Amino acid sequence: MTDPSADPQTERRMNRVDLITGGVFAVLGLAIVYLSWTMPRLEMRGIHPATVPGLVPGLLGLALAFCGVVLSLKAYRDGRGAGDWSDLLALFRSAEAGRFCAVAGLALVYALVLVGLLPFWLASAAFVFAFIVVFEVWLSPQPRPLLRSALWAAVQGVLVGVAVTLVFQYGFLVRLP
Amino acid sequence: MPEGLTLLGHGIAHFLTWEALFNLAWASLLGIVIGALPGLTATMGVALLVTLTYKMPPDQAILCLMALYVGAIYGGSRSAILLAIPGTPASAATTLDGYPLARAGKAGMAMGIATTSSALGTLVGIFFLALIAPWLAEFALRFGSYEFFWLALFGVLISGRLTAIEDPLKGYIAGILGLLAAMIGMEGLHAFQRFTFGVGALGGGIDLIPAMVGAFGFAEILAVMKRRFTAELVTSDDRVVPRLADITRYWRTTIRSGIVGTIAGIIPGVGEDIGAWASYAAARRASKEADQFGKGSVEGLVAAETGNSAVIPGAMIPTLTLALPGSAAAAVLIAAMFIHGIRPGPLLMTENPAFLYQIVGILLLTTIAITIFGLSLTKLLVRVLLVPREKLMPVVYVLCVVGSFAITQRMFDVYVMIAFGLIGFVLREMRYPMAPLVLGIVLGDLLDVNLRRGLLLSDGDVTPFFTRPISAVLFAITAVTILMSLPMVSRRVTDLFKRLDPQRRAG
Repeated sequence: MTDPSADPQTERRMNRVDLITGGVFAVLGLAIVYLSWTMPRLEMRGIHPATVPGLVPGLLGLALAFCGVVLSLKAYRDGRGAGDWSDLLALFRSAEAGRFCAVAGLALVYALVLVGLLPFWLASAAFVFAFIVVFEVWLSPQPRPLLRSALWAAVQGVLVGVAVTLVFQYGFLVRLP
Repeated sequence: MPEGLTLLGHGIAHFLTWEALFNLAWASLLGIVIGALPGLTATMGVALLVTLTYKMPPDQAILCLMALYVGAIYGGSRSAILLAIPGTPASAATTLDGYPLARAGKAGMAMGIATTSSALGTLVGIFFLALIAPWLAEFALRFGSYEFFWLALFGVLISGRLTAIEDPLKGYIAGILGLLAAMIGMEGLHAFQRFTFGVGALGGGIDLIPAMVGAFGFAEILAVMKRRFTAELVTSDDRVVPRLADITRYWRTTIRSGIVGTIAGIIPGVGEDIGAWASYAAARRASKEADQFGKGSVEGLVAAETGNSAVIPGAMIPTLTLALPGSAAAAVLIAAMFIHGIRPGPLLMTENPAFLYQIVGILLLTTIAITIFGLSLTKLLVRVLLVPREKLMPVVYVLCVVGSFAITQRMFDVYVMIAFGLIGFVLREMRYPMAPLVLGIVLGDLLDVNLRRGLLLSDGDVTPFFTRPISAVLFAITAVTILMSLPMVSRRVTDLFKRLDPQRRAG
């Protein structure tokens, strides 16, 4: 349980994040309350009014909205005079944000585009290859030479793609996408 | 009691076959490797292995999953000691004393003590599992809809409270989000489809396995790859197998940490990390060498490793008897049990009493396996730590995709995995704990159906929820949990205790 609160910049950032997310949760909670309220009450089926399907989601929506409001109010109270929003905006320009975008982008392209478009083994091999090269050559503190990295990444990619396909397709009889 | 011992004997003997021992060996070794690799957690490992074991016979599948779970929680200590990076969150407390010991040239000794402490912690937990679970299952037969409603609510709340110590509100929000996710799809009382927005695939609800693979697999990959770090491996050639005196010197700490860990396991959704921290704190308070904690204290290492391992059998107590997961990995185990036709809950001891003792048998055999592997495969496990994350993580992600797809063979589950991965990552970055979210997904249906069924039985009257004896106790505990998370109330209660205890006031 390391205490990350030691860094004041991180704390200011978290404070702004809480202020926004509290509002988001409040709105989401109220939207759920509305959807639950307008949910069919199945009177035609003669069910007991205390067992309508919207009861529990409605109560949970209320609880979420309440927690969201409290979170926002707490963040507002703690963050008064704590500076502007620049700390939060700086988060999106950091190196870490770039690395996150690279992983998320590669992962989404693989799962949402390549799988289904290419044979599974090839899609997986391409993903593994691209992932390794991007993080070894361009996003590494100690970059490796492109050719060497690409060669080994291609070998690993093909091995992983073929092995996973064989194991699931023939071992577990899964019809892969 | 004699019947219990006979069942226990059968439970152990059931797995003394070549097939079972082979499965035990590979699964516990795989668990240790997964645990040792930073970025691969026990929950992720168990969730991914569900897809690889669903064609196995139920007993062998559960054996593999449990062995991997125990192995991974133990394996996390390797990277905590040698890299100062906990392999799983459960080993965060191990880092405090394990790494300083390694830097002082005692890496072998630290690994040996971590191994024996993990084994002893599991044994203490197993003792309580065999003792408490049958009794609790029998007691839980008295539970009706009212009690199960409170139990589900209390489970989510206490998990939120204890996994987000700094800000319980975030724990509660995570729990509510999990419960809301469970509301999607067909509800259990009138078969009405809620929040499906015309998407047919949502009718069946959110499957737990893809959600867990996302929240603990994909989210972890994003978190690990986001950071730029280079870890320094510290190792030494000193003796790994500890002397008997080294193990017995801290027997009080071992027993105390075992009990603390078991209690942490019994509390729903409070996992191994909390068990380790609580044991560590308790050991430091009671220790004569408290000043050495954090600087390479063997006692601190013993406390952390005994504590986190004892959580596993402890977590199995509510998991098996109430179908209330004691930890995040136990939530996956519940899903796996349902896939294999095993129904955990109060009726387990009536329908399938041998199963509880089979779990005890699995835990005992896995403890032996991790002790053997932990003390003998030191060099191999050091090599595992050198695998670069750039090469490892894409393979893990391919397994996340194919694993989510494999069970029902539909792309929708892959989308669920991705959605939970992204949401889980964002929530974790904002310091929301994952355990209450998972617990919410598991317990949402239980809470929903039992609240409405209770209201149906009482013709819309809410008083039985507060007046039936067990319900009243559960309500009181739930109310105290919420009230104590309000800073104003907890401050006043602390002040009151200080006034009643002049010694503490002086301190």
